[in-house]
Amino acid sequence: MRTLGIDLGSREVKIAVMEDGRIVNKSKVSTMTFYREYCSFDGKILVDLNKLEIDKIDKAISTGYGRNNTDLRMFKAINEIKAHVYGGIYQTGLKDFILLDIGGQDVKVVKVEKGIITDLDLNEKCAASCGRYLENMANVLEIPLNSMSDYYDNPVELNSTCAVFSESELIGKIAEGIDIKRLCAGVSYSLYKRLKPLMSNFNGKDLIVTGGVATNKAVKHYLERDYENIISVEEPQFNGAIGCCYYGESFL
Amino acid sequence: MKKIGLTTTVPVEVLITAGYRPVDLNNLFITSDDYSKYIEIAERDGFPKSLCAWIKGIYGACVENGIKEIVGVIEGDCSNTKALAEVLELRGIRVYPFSYPQSHRKEDVEVEIKKFMDIFHVSYEEVEVVRKRLNRIRRLAGELDRLTYSHDKVSGFENHLYQVSLSDFNGDADEFEDELETFIMKVKKRDGSCKKVRLGYIGVPPMTIDIYDFVERFDASFVYNEVQREFAFPRCEVASNIYEQYYDYTYPYDVNYRIKEIKKQIEDRRIDGIVHYTQAFCYRAVENIILKDKLNVPIINIEGDKMNSLDARTKLRLEAFLDMLGDLKEVSCV
Ligand code: SF4
Repeated sequence: MRTLGIDLGSREVKIAVMEDGRIVNKSKVSTMTFYREYCSFDGKILVDLNKLEIDKIDKAISTGYGRNNTDLRMFKAINEIKAHVYGGIYQTGLKDFILLDIGGQDVKVVKVEKGIITDLDLNEKCAASCGRYLENMANVLEIPLNSMSDYYDNPVELNSTCAVFSESELIGKIAEGIDIKRLCAGVSYSLYKRLKPLMSNFNGKDLIVTGGVATNKAVKHYLERDYENIISVEEPQFNGAIGCCYYGESFL
Repeated sequence: MKKIGLTTTVPVEVLITAGYRPVDLNNLFITSDDYSKYIEIAERDGFPKSLCAWIKGIYGACVENGIKEIVGVIEGDCSNTKALAEVLELRGIRVYPFSYPQSHRKEDVEVEIKKFMDIFHVSYEEVEVVRKRLNRIRRLAGELDRLTYSHDKVSGFENHLYQVSLSDFNGDADEFEDELETFIMKVKKRDGSCKKVRLGYIGVPPMTIDIYDFVERFDASFVYNEVQREFAFPRCEVASNIYEQYYDYTYPYDVNYRIKEIKKQIEDRRIDGIVHYTQAFCYRAVENIILKDKLNVPIINIEGDKMNSLDARTKLRLEAFLDMLGDLKEVSCV
């Protein structure tokens, strides 16, 4: 059986194909390109699988970022939080965990007990704790995002709660001549500080981190203070798409 | 008939024998359009903001409705109720004490009920006559409960409403019996409306009464109301006297005793998941740790405060919970 999962993110569309319980194919396209090049509209969005070079699909499941239209024709649309939870279950084998998904534009924290969501919190109003924030700050520092996340010692204090004000605060620190390593650490630490209140109701042993920011070493380093195990999945950015596949194989 | 206010279920047989008309203050509070005004009255009189809304509501309902006498449960219910009774006493309301002994030994329960009968000058024999009369109504409530879980003819809300009313028989046992009989006749003619996900409701009755309708939007329904059912004394038939009846009651005793009965009901009613309702600032929220550990079905803990409807966040949480329970059900059906 071949199952296709598509996660329509705000910046990128993630595609995964599962064959008999194993992921056999993954790909990513920018959201803009996806709609422009691979879709047509006829009452409902129709995805051109030929163009995506995907064939012999038995089931197709879609999910996606809040307001985006995730209801593709011939696809079963599922809730995004659920997709991520199934992705987490599939990729770790765990049934009890906290899932932290930091995407480009939103943050989700979910508590899973006995394999079922029992609590959740979403932050989709403020960009200051999302991937986009780290990207902007890396741009200001003129350093690749990946390298920025290598530093976590002795972070410089950035106190602004707002992504826009943080930028000028950071520039102030640059002007003070503070070492780049401390600036980098400070950016990641400020994101962690904003996550903290959101996480305060979500105590547990195991924290699975997914989404783009899951590749950020510094943020994970700070999270280690609050959780016994920080669990990284192999494909943090594909977690939602993989979850769609898992849902399709297990429940449809 | 003199009215007497109840803060929780007590041996109502004794009060009725003594010629009282019992009024459950919880029901008086929560069914009132003025429910939030009652809370405000209590806060104005000095009850802290950080206190369970039930206590404040009961207080407001009691003083505003001119209730002159109440039964104060001084053991087996929360310590907030104890303090509530003390304040009511200060306001000139007469408080009669009753205890559910924490030892939960048969002899101790008997001693307490005997004390209670002495206070009201009624004899064991007189009380037994009333108990047998009331047990006819309790049996009807049991039938209604069966129609809920084995025939799917009664909604979770209806089940809640009728069972919770057995704490005071809505103030008039005869009238209530008629009402219950008519209702049962009516629902028997219904087609059963079977929902995909079968839920259990455990914990104190909700402030947020819309929870019953809300879950039905997601193809789920409550087929078990734990505490409400206990208020109705579903095992009254096996009790040979009033002492045994009130001994065999789970709600005021320790949580492990409660859990045994809940487990049995999960099995008998084929329950897929549990909603554990707790009230903000209530010690019972701590028991969630134990319940979660000991019950082998998924449990979601939701918390109510002053509002009588679910807030957006709780709705979102419930929706996600029910959605995933539905997925599991899909698999187990095939
Ligand atoms: S909900 Fe809790 S705190 Fe409130 S009256 Fe009941 S037992 Fe007491």
